[in-house]
Amino acid sequence: MITFEHVSKRYANGVSALRDVSFDLGRGEMAFLTGHSGAGKSTLLRLVLLLERATAGRIRVNGHDLDRVPSRRAPRTRQAIGMIFQDHRLLPDKPVFDNVALPLMIAGLGYREIGRRVRAALDQVGLLHREDALPDEISGGEQQRVGIARAIVSMPPLLLADEPTGNLDPDLSQELFNLFAQLNGQGTTVLIASHDLALIRSMGRRVLVLADGRLVDDIAAEEVGRGKA
Amino acid sequence: MSMLTPKQKFRAWGRRQLYSLFSSLGSLVQHWTGTLMTVLVLGIAMALPLGLAVVMKNLHGMDFRQEDWGSLSVFLQPAADETEARALAAAAEERFRVSVVLISPEQGMAEFLERSGLREAADLFETNPLPWVLLVTPPSGATPVDQMAAAVADWFGGQGAVEAVQLDHKWMQRLAGWVALGDAFVRLLSAVLSIAVVLVVANTIRLDVANRAGEIKVLNMVGAPNGYIRQPFLYSGFWYGLMGAALALLLLAVALAYLQSPVERLQDAYGNAIRLQGPGVSGAAVVLVAGGLLGLAGAWWSVQRYLRQFRVEDPVRRKSS
Repeated sequence: MITFEHVSKRYANGVSALRDVSFDLGRGEMAFLTGHSGAGKSTLLRLVLLLERATAGRIRVNGHDLDRVPSRRAPRTRQAIGMIFQDHRLLPDKPVFDNVALPLMIAGLGYREIGRRVRAALDQVGLLHREDALPDEISGGEQQRVGIARAIVSMPPLLLADEPTGNLDPDLSQELFNLFAQLNGQGTTVLIASHDLALIRSMGRRVLVLADGRLVDDIAAEEVGRGKA
Repeated sequence: MSMLTPKQKFRAWGRRQLYSLFSSLGSLVQHWTGTLMTVLVLGIAMALPLGLAVVMKNLHGMDFRQEDWGSLSVFLQPAADETEARALAAAAEERFRVSVVLISPEQGMAEFLERSGLREAADLFETNPLPWVLLVTPPSGATPVDQMAAAVADWFGGQGAVEAVQLDHKWMQRLAGWVALGDAFVRLLSAVLSIAVVLVVANTIRLDVANRAGEIKVLNMVGAPNGYIRQPFLYSGFWYGLMGAALALLLLAVALAYLQSPVERLQDAYGNAIRLQGPGVSGAAVVLVAGGLLGLAGAWWSVQRYLRQFRVEDPVRRKSS
């Protein structure tokens, strides 16, 4: 699903965020991306989402060579990826329903179909009863689940999450990770950037470790289960 | 989800347009004070050239018949008699295809006494001092009529029986020159104020875009193409322009109603030569469409500048750098 071949990213200010990173994430796989702040986790996700271009190397996502995707086609590429942000990135003046419906409205689906899919997504994250609430009227955990509902509502084959539990307590974090595992069980490929090692260990999934922009370790799920991570 | 048929894509496009059209209008109504201020500025900016254009249109409606520009009065020597007057008239008609009306001294005196109100003083004149007068009008369609009139005047000036030749409507010709200058000024002012309208809308939309920067960023990240992000702002610009144009038309209608009375008094002085007219239905439609398009242009410019920051580098550019 995601292939990085010797990918580097150097920003205009001279900072090297990624250096010669290579890995392959198979379809239907779930993996964690971990490392200290500034290790390059967010940059890696931004490259996958085509919010940035790699300075060197090759990235393939869902069969597309991102290096060949022109700028004007970047949004369409993004539509096939569900993205979850640490700070939720919800529209504050729109109710939960409208926030979740956003990707479907962009895709131009009919109102009836939008309603059906939004309610299914909200049901999946357990927030069907809050569809009329504004983001400010729900808790941080609920806001994050709204973000997840928005990411999965268009049923993308790939789900990315950037520190999705950063602002949540341990119980809620575990709950969210379980939700990701559940989505993965339905066939969605999931890549989660997180520095919560305890939580990552508890999931027993593959872990990619970044340090100073380099991929320093790639720990298989079995090894995580044996306690290597 | 992206596997939509062309028909579904078209329907989706239509839904988006309708949604943006009315949601942008709703947003303007919701923030009505800001909208009102902007529309007032736009309306006044548009009313100025529009008002001048209507003034020019009405001036064009004055009795500027070009054939009158060439009309001239030929005064014969006091000694010249009817035979000479008729001979001159016949010669001019044959040579220049002009039409000539003869006014005898008696007709001239009668008209003078009638107009001056000095009928009672007629007895004071022992003899009639007025000469024969020839009123000469160039043929209709003669162009350029002023050159034709000059040639006719030259010819009459060279005749021995002629005392003086007077071009009757020189002033009107000059006024028409001023009107032409006014037309050019209106065009220039329209162009300058059109740019002002574009800039006002662009600045208003720029602030709107800045206020919704967070929302735009989210839209960009969840895969909204620039066209989708741009749409509501473009419609806002369109509404601003349209409402500004409507206000300009309203201001013009009020101004015309206010000016109606003094213009009627002026009409009397010109013998009903002036008819005060507004832009008319088609003119108003043109103003509304032009206003909407100017607003659209301003919004496009503003949003486009902002959206450039979201543009990821093109792969070709990266390779060449």
